[in-house]
Amino acid sequence: MELLDWSLISSTIRMVTPILLAALGGALCARVGIFNVGLEGLVLVGAFSAIVGNHFTGSLFLAILFAALVCVLFSLLFAYMTIGLKANEIVVGVAINFLALGLTTFALRAIFGVKGAFYDKEMAGLPKLDIPVIKEIPVLGDILSGHSPLVYFAFLAAIMLYLFFYRTVTGFRVLAVGLNPVAARSLGLKVTGLQVLAITACGVLCGVAGAQLSLGQVTMFSEGMTAGRGFIALVAMMMGQSHPLGILASSFLFGLMDALSIRLQGLSLPTQFTSMLPYLLTIVAMFFVKEKSKAGGSQQSSR
Amino acid sequence: MAAIRELCKSLVQPVLAVMIGLLTGAVVIAAVGESVIGTYQEMWKGAFGSFYFFTSTLARATPIMLIALGLALAFRAGVFNLGAEGQMVLGAISATLVAIYLPAPGIVKMLAGILVGITVGGLWSLLAGYMEAKFRIPLLISTLLFNYIAVLFASYLVSDPFQDRTGSAALAQTVMLEKSAWLPKLFSGMSVHAGFFFAIAAALLLFWVIRFTPFGYEVKMLGQNPLFARYGGINQIKVMLTGMFASGGLAGLAGTVEVLGAHYRFVDGALTVPNFAWTGMMATLLANSNPIGIIFTSILLAAFQTGAMGVERNTEVPLELASVIQAVLILFISAKFSYDWWKKRKAKGGESHGAA
Repeated sequence: MELLDWSLISSTIRMVTPILLAALGGALCARVGIFNVGLEGLVLVGAFSAIVGNHFTGSLFLAILFAALVCVLFSLLFAYMTIGLKANEIVVGVAINFLALGLTTFALRAIFGVKGAFYDKEMAGLPKLDIPVIKEIPVLGDILSGHSPLVYFAFLAAIMLYLFFYRTVTGFRVLAVGLNPVAARSLGLKVTGLQVLAITACGVLCGVAGAQLSLGQVTMFSEGMTAGRGFIALVAMMMGQSHPLGILASSFLFGLMDALSIRLQGLSLPTQFTSMLPYLLTIVAMFFVKEKSKAGGSQQSSR
Repeated sequence: MAAIRELCKSLVQPVLAVMIGLLTGAVVIAAVGESVIGTYQEMWKGAFGSFYFFTSTLARATPIMLIALGLALAFRAGVFNLGAEGQMVLGAISATLVAIYLPAPGIVKMLAGILVGITVGGLWSLLAGYMEAKFRIPLLISTLLFNYIAVLFASYLVSDPFQDRTGSAALAQTVMLEKSAWLPKLFSGMSVHAGFFFAIAAALLLFWVIRFTPFGYEVKMLGQNPLFARYGGINQIKVMLTGMFASGGLAGLAGTVEVLGAHYRFVDGALTVPNFAWTGMMATLLANSNPIGIIFTSILLAAFQTGAMGVERNTEVPLELASVIQAVLILFISAKFSYDWWKKRKAKGGESHGAA
């Protein structure tokens, strides 16, 4: 297999989608001053509920809707604990991750009666969308066409979020809350409301990310199938400094490394090193990209 | 006396949270149509039912306790160290390799392994601390990233250069340590090993350090009120770095004793799959970073896990019951945790309070 060809970019786009969606959700939270470590758990819940929804309704659309809904419920729990009860967001995030892992595995047994993974060959995965005109263009068609609708949704979401942050009044308000909640409140902004809104939207995005994971790339659910993607999303978010375009770039980097590491396995290069690349790169990047904004609220860890 | 009162005070909330956790567990058990009482009986039996099960619980609590103690020190200094997993794994693999390849008598191998495990875990953690101090790279990110690098690197080491090729070559693991380098078992035929004593000793030591030494005072001051600490002439960087080293060192020790006392070889994934690192964090949070409290909360969380194994063996309820109960427990403890510790830090003020 060739190491670098156009299909690499195509598989990158596929790999990047769940990470991108979750990272955008994380960015929304970060922009209102809440650091959401629970992304991993939320995506896992999304992946599981998408399968449940698909299994019981037989409709892909309802499945995605269900995934988003269940994730929103989880997000609201997060919101209640962090905003309502003023609990530490990292602690709650860790708890959400555990709860998600426990509940999904538990429910896998309870609902489907299987251990490890649920797979049903009757179940249809997300369809591949062929974009009429672009499909015919030689290289571009292979890259851009034939992805699941959620892939396109992810990229659209990044653009939408950018427009939201920098072109709308509510967006500016969200940014203001993240920069200085006290000042924002004194201006009469409904800080709590905006925070809850952001966390809810994060839930939707994570739910969709999960759906892409369990219905887009494969059509199954396995225990802990997120395998750290939520944490990678977290890193992508931090590296992209919670800026939608920055996140797009950093998630793309992770996706590319992910896709590349699969390729490199054919070259007798130890997979561990190729899988390590994104993390090493992120650390290197952090030396250059200094924190300009206070994105991430509680990131200032020690002082 | 004050110490006992402080301990009791910091235990009220955990006990309450445990109740709510068990209640939620009951709801979940009922949802799958099993008997709640019967399941909890199995859980109790699986954790404490016989001397053998009890020692298994203690064995499982050992790494959790050590990690929790390390994190407690970091938390007290106001540092969020999310890198316990990497520190544990890297410490463990270094210790294993030293214990296998150092040409020395068994006891020397063992001691050298422990020493190296602590040092490597500590240095790995210190590196993140250094990057924060020097380049302002947030610890929260660097420690999280370091986890992946450490775990992948260790995985590479045991699946390529140091792989045991004598048996089935498909397994990514090192060769077995020679028997004289094993940590002794506390009771023959039982799984609890000398590492448990290390954990208890570490807890007592940490308690002493925090309560009676100037360093403990500096840590406490830095954690509770960084501004005041700076005003008081405390070298924050030094305290933070020392805290990070100790915290990583304890995580490294956790991995080391697990290898020397339980597996006798480094098996890829054997330390990460049981989620020791995150469970250790939960034990710290539950105990409100109190070292003596951590002894109890670690055993409690370990008991949930070994108990859940018993539940899975004997009923239809899956193992993950433990994760659910643990998570709920943490959710309910976190509300209080913030009031006592986090808000105080954010507000950079407030009255000081015994139970940091």
